[in-house]
Amino acid sequence: MTSTALSPEPPASWRRYFGFSTDAKVIGIQYIVVAFFFFLVGGLLAMIMRGELITPEADLVDRTVYNGLYTMHGTIMLFLFIFPVLNGLNNLLIPTMIGAPDMAFPRLNTAAFWLVPVFGILLIASFFLPSGPATSGWWSYPPVSLQNPLGHLINGEFLWVLAVALSGVSSIMGAVNFVTTILRMRAPGMGLFRMPVFCWTALAAQTLQLIGLPALTGGAVMLLLDLSVGTSFYRPEGGGDPVLYQHFFWFYSHPAVYVIILPVFGIFSELFPVYSRKPLFGYVYVCLASFIIVGLGLIVWVHHMFPSGVTQWMRNLFMVTTMLIAVPTGVKVFAWLGTLWGGKIRLTTPMLFCLGGLFNFVFAGITGIMLATVPIDIHVSNTYFVVGHFHYVIYGAAVMGVFAAIYHWFPKFTGRMPYEGLGKLHCLLTFVGANLSFLPMHPMGLMGMPRRVSSYDPEFAFWNVLASLGGFLLGVSIIPFLLNMISSWARGPKAPHNPWNAIGLEWLLPSPPAEDNFGEHVPTVISRPYGYGTGEPLVEHQADIERALTLQEAIR
Amino acid sequence: MTSSTPRRPGPIALAALAIWIGLLVAISLWVARASYGWLPVQASNAAPLVDGLFSFETGIGTFVFLGVISVMAWVMLVHRAEKYDESDAEPIEGNTRLEVIWTAIPFVLVMAIAWYAIQINTELGVLGPMEHIHLRDSQEQQGGYPGDRLPAEQVEVIARQWSWEFRYPSQHVSSTELHLELNRPITFRLVSEDVLHGFFIPAFRLKQDVIPGRAIDFSLTPTRLGRYRLRDSQFSGTWFAANQADVVVETAEDHGLWLKQAAAAPLQSGLSVAAAEYTEQQTNPRGGWPTVVPAPPPQVNVPGSSSLPHDA
Amino acid sequence: MSSTPVPPSSPSAAHGEGQHANHNLTGFIIFLCSESVIFLAFFSGYAILRLAALDWLPAGVDGLEWRMPLINTVVLVSSSFTMVLAEHFKGKGKIWLFRGFWLLTMAMGAYFLYGQAVEWSGLTFGFTSGTFGGTFYLLTGFHGLHVLTGILLMGLMLAKSFVPGNYDGGEQGVIATSLFWHFVDVIWIILFVLLYVWRA
Repeated sequence: MTSTALSPEPPASWRRYFGFSTDAKVIGIQYIVVAFFFFLVGGLLAMIMRGELITPEADLVDRTVYNGLYTMHGTIMLFLFIFPVLNGLNNLLIPTMIGAPDMAFPRLNTAAFWLVPVFGILLIASFFLPSGPATSGWWSYPPVSLQNPLGHLINGEFLWVLAVALSGVSSIMGAVNFVTTILRMRAPGMGLFRMPVFCWTALAAQTLQLIGLPALTGGAVMLLLDLSVGTSFYRPEGGGDPVLYQHFFWFYSHPAVYVIILPVFGIFSELFPVYSRKPLFGYVYVCLASFIIVGLGLIVWVHHMFPSGVTQWMRNLFMVTTMLIAVPTGVKVFAWLGTLWGGKIRLTTPMLFCLGGLFNFVFAGITGIMLATVPIDIHVSNTYFVVGHFHYVIYGAAVMGVFAAIYHWFPKFTGRMPYEGLGKLHCLLTFVGANLSFLPMHPMGLMGMPRRVSSYDPEFAFWNVLASLGGFLLGVSIIPFLLNMISSWARGPKAPHNPWNAIGLEWLLPSPPAEDNFGEHVPTVISRPYGYGTGEPLVEHQADIERALTLQEAIR
Repeated sequence: MTSSTPRRPGPIALAALAIWIGLLVAISLWVARASYGWLPVQASNAAPLVDGLFSFETGIGTFVFLGVISVMAWVMLVHRAEKYDESDAEPIEGNTRLEVIWTAIPFVLVMAIAWYAIQINTELGVLGPMEHIHLRDSQEQQGGYPGDRLPAEQVEVIARQWSWEFRYPSQHVSSTELHLELNRPITFRLVSEDVLHGFFIPAFRLKQDVIPGRAIDFSLTPTRLGRYRLRDSQFSGTWFAANQADVVVETAEDHGLWLKQAAAAPLQSGLSVAAAEYTEQQTNPRGGWPTVVPAPPPQVNVPGSSSLPHDA
Repeated sequence: MSSTPVPPSSPSAAHGEGQHANHNLTGFIIFLCSESVIFLAFFSGYAILRLAALDWLPAGVDGLEWRMPLINTVVLVSSSFTMVLAEHFKGKGKIWLFRGFWLLTMAMGAYFLYGQAVEWSGLTFGFTSGTFGGTFYLLTGFHGLHVLTGILLMGLMLAKSFVPGNYDGGEQGVIATSLFWHFVDVIWIILFVLLYVWRA
C-alpha cells in the first residue's frame, strides 16, 4: 500500500463550479459561495435597518419597507446564508473526514444544492411584486401574516412560504444524505467513537433537521392554505387557533438554532486541539453531549411562547428543560477549556476566530439562561434583549466559527494558503463589530424597547447609535475577508497537504483532493482522532502515505 | 477551573487562585447590584421580584463568564507556543472526575435557579385563570361601553391595528390613556379585534400576548405614581412600532376625579398615531408597499396624551 | 419522493467498514421517519383544534358516515398482507406469483382511492368549512397523495421486474416500496381512529 491514493491534482477548471457537478467538494464550495452572496444581500438589508434605527423617528424608509427589510434580513440570513454555508462545510468535510469517495447520494446532493438559488431568487423576487415582500417577520405569525391588503394570489407572503417550503425540501434531502453517508460510508476501522467530532455534531444536527423540519413544513402548508385557499386553521374567526402555528413553528425553529450551533461546536472541537497541540479533552463526553442536546432541544420550544398564554405548569416545565441544556453545553465548553489548558497555543487566524466565538458563545449562554427564566423572559421577550442574545449566538459564535472553519480548511480544498494578516484584521473587525453592535441591544431590551420596531422612544437613542455603528463596522469587516478569499485563491502560496500539522483523514489527502478522495485506497483507521502528542498514528501505513504526499509536493 | 495537570500546584499558586476567585466574586456581587440600574423604575408589585431574580442570575452569570474568560486569557498569555516550537503539548485525553464535577455543578446550579424561578413564578401568579371566551360580534366601534360583559372591577383592554382602547365598565368611561389607582389590584380583560398584539408595560415587568378569539384575564398592582409607556410587544403589522399608549398611576382621589370628569366628557376621537400618519400619507405619499388600513381611532371620553414625558 | 435510487456510481463505493450496498434502503428509512413527523404534526394539530373547539361540527353536519370508510380501511389493511405475500413469492423465485400479488395490491390501493373519491363527492361540507372541514380534507387528502405515490412506485417496481436479471444484485426498490406501503397503511389506521372512531 505505497504511493497510492495519489492521483494527480484534478484539472483546475473553474467551470465545474458553475455546473451541475455531483462532486461533494465542488458542491460544498458552490454552497459556500452562494451562501456568501446572500450573506451580502442580507447584510445590506441589515445596514439599511441600522441606518433607520440610528434615529428614533421612522425617517429613512417607510414603515412597510422597514418591516419588509427586517423580515427578509432574518429569512435570508437563516435560510439562505447560515444553513447553506453549514451544508457547504458538511459537503466538504464529511466525506473527506470519514474517508468516503463522495456523499451516499451524489445526485440527490446536486438537486438539494440547486434548490438553494431557486428559492433564493423566488424570495428576492418578492421585492418586485406589487404587494412587496413578506412583512410579518421570519416567524410569520398568523393572523398578521395572513393579511393580504391587495388581495392578490401571488403576494410576498405566498412567495415567502413557498421559499421556506423549498428550503425545507432541500434541507431534508441534504439531511437524508448526510446521515446516510455518516452511518454507512466510514473508512475501515472508523467506529463511531473514532469519528471526528465535526461528524458527530453534523449527525446530531441533521437528525434534528429530520425530526423538526417536517413539523414546520406541516405548519407552513396549513399557513399557505389559510392564505391562499381560505381555510381557517389559524384564523380565529373560523374557529382556528393562531397559537397552534406558534407550536409548529417553534418545534422546528428552536432546534434550528442547535442545527446551526452544533456543527460550530464541532468546528471548535476540531480546531482547538490542532492549535493547542493537545488531544480534545474528554472526546467521548463531547460526542455524547451533542446527542443529549438533540434530545433536550426537542422539548424546549415553548420557552419562545411564555407570554403567548400558555399555562403555568407548561411554563415551569419548559423552563426546566431549557435550563438543562446548559449542562451538556457546559460539558463542551469545559472540554474546550481543558483542551486549551497546558497546551502550546498558536494564535493563528482560525484559532483567534474560535476563541472569539467561544467568548461570545459563553456570553450568549448566560443571557440564554436568563431568557429561559420565566419571570425574566416575561419582561424581556420580544424586546431587543432577545435580538442581542440571538445575534451573539448566530453572529458572535456561529458565524465566527464558520469563518474559523473557512480559514482552517481553505488550503485543503483550494490548494492555496489564505493570508494571515488580512485574516487577523478580519477577525479583529468582526469581533469588535459584533460586540459593539449586539451588546447595546441588551440594555435596550432591559429598558423595554420592543424588537421589530421602525421607530422608538428617544430614551433608547444612545444605545441604538452604538449598535448602528457596530453594525456598520461589521459591514466593513467583510471587506478584508472577501479580499483575502479572492486574492489567495487566485494567487496565494501553494498549500502543502497538511499546513497546520493537523491530524485527520482529510489531511492525508493532497490539497486539493482528487475527485474521489482516497479512491480505492482508503486507509484503515487505527486510533482515536486528535492524537496530538501521543505519537500514535491515525491510520495504517501513515508514514508511507505522508512520505508519498510530501514527495509529490516536492516535484510539483 | 483548577489545573488538571498531574503536577500539584504549589501554595503560592493556590493562594493566587484563591485571591483571583475572591476578586471575581467581588466583581460579580458588584455587577449583580448594579444590574438593578439597567432596568426601568419599579412600578408594580411584580417588579421587585423580577428584578431580584435578574440580579441573582446576573451575579452568577458574571462569575461564570469571568471564570471562563480568565481561563481563556490565562492560556493565551501563559500557554502560548514559543516561536519555532513545532512540538506537541503533553497529551491529556480527559479526566473522568473533572467531567463528573463539571456536569454536576452546572446541573445543581441551573436546578437551583429553576427552583428559585418557580417560587417567584408562583408568587407572581401572573396569569389569572385564562378563559377561552369567544368574542361576540362587536358592534362597539361607536360609543362608550355597553357594560354588560364584565364584573365592575375589571378594565377591558382592546387592542387594534393600531390603537389601544381602555374601558371602565362601571363608570361608562373609555379612554386611549390607561389610568390606574395606586396600590389597588386591577384585573384586565385583554381582547384583540384583529391580529396578535402584546400588552407590555416595561415599568411593571409584565407582558401578555393579546390573542384574537380569546379573552385573557390579567392582573397586576401598580405601586408607584407616575406616567409609563405601554408598548405593543407582538408584531402586529405596519404601525406596530407606533402602537403605544401611556399608563398613568395616580392616587385614589386623583383616579376618582379623573373617572368622574371622564364620564362627563363627550365622546371624541382617541389617539392613534397610525390613523394620523395614514391620513397624512394619503395626501403626501412616501412610497412603500400596500398596507392594511388602520382602524379608525376609537371614540372615547378621554384621548389623553402620548407626548408627555414618561418615567419608563 | 426525494429518494431517487442512485446506484453506487463508482466501484470504490463498495469498500470499507461493512457493506456500502444498502445506502438506498438506509436513506429511504431515514426519509420515512422524517415523513412520519409531518403526519404527526397534522394529527396533533387536528387534536388540538378539535379539543379546543366549542362547536366542532359545522352547522348542518352530523358527523362522518363511517361504514364506507370502514370497508376502505379493510381493503387497505389487507393490501399490506397481499404485499407481504408478493414479497414472499419473490424470495422463493416465483416471479409470476410475485407479479400477481403485487398487481392485486395495486388494485386494492386503487380501490381505496376510488372509495375516497366517492366519499369526498358525497360530503356536504368543503375545505373552507371551518377547522372541521379543513382538517378533514387536509388529512385525507395528504394521505391520499401518499397512496397515489405508493401505487406509482409499485407500478415502477412491476415494470422493473421485467428487466432481465433485475433481482440478481438484491432488489432494494421492492423492499423500499413495501416499507412505504406499510407506512401509508399505519398512518391510515391512526387517521381512521382520529377522524371516524373518535366521537364527541
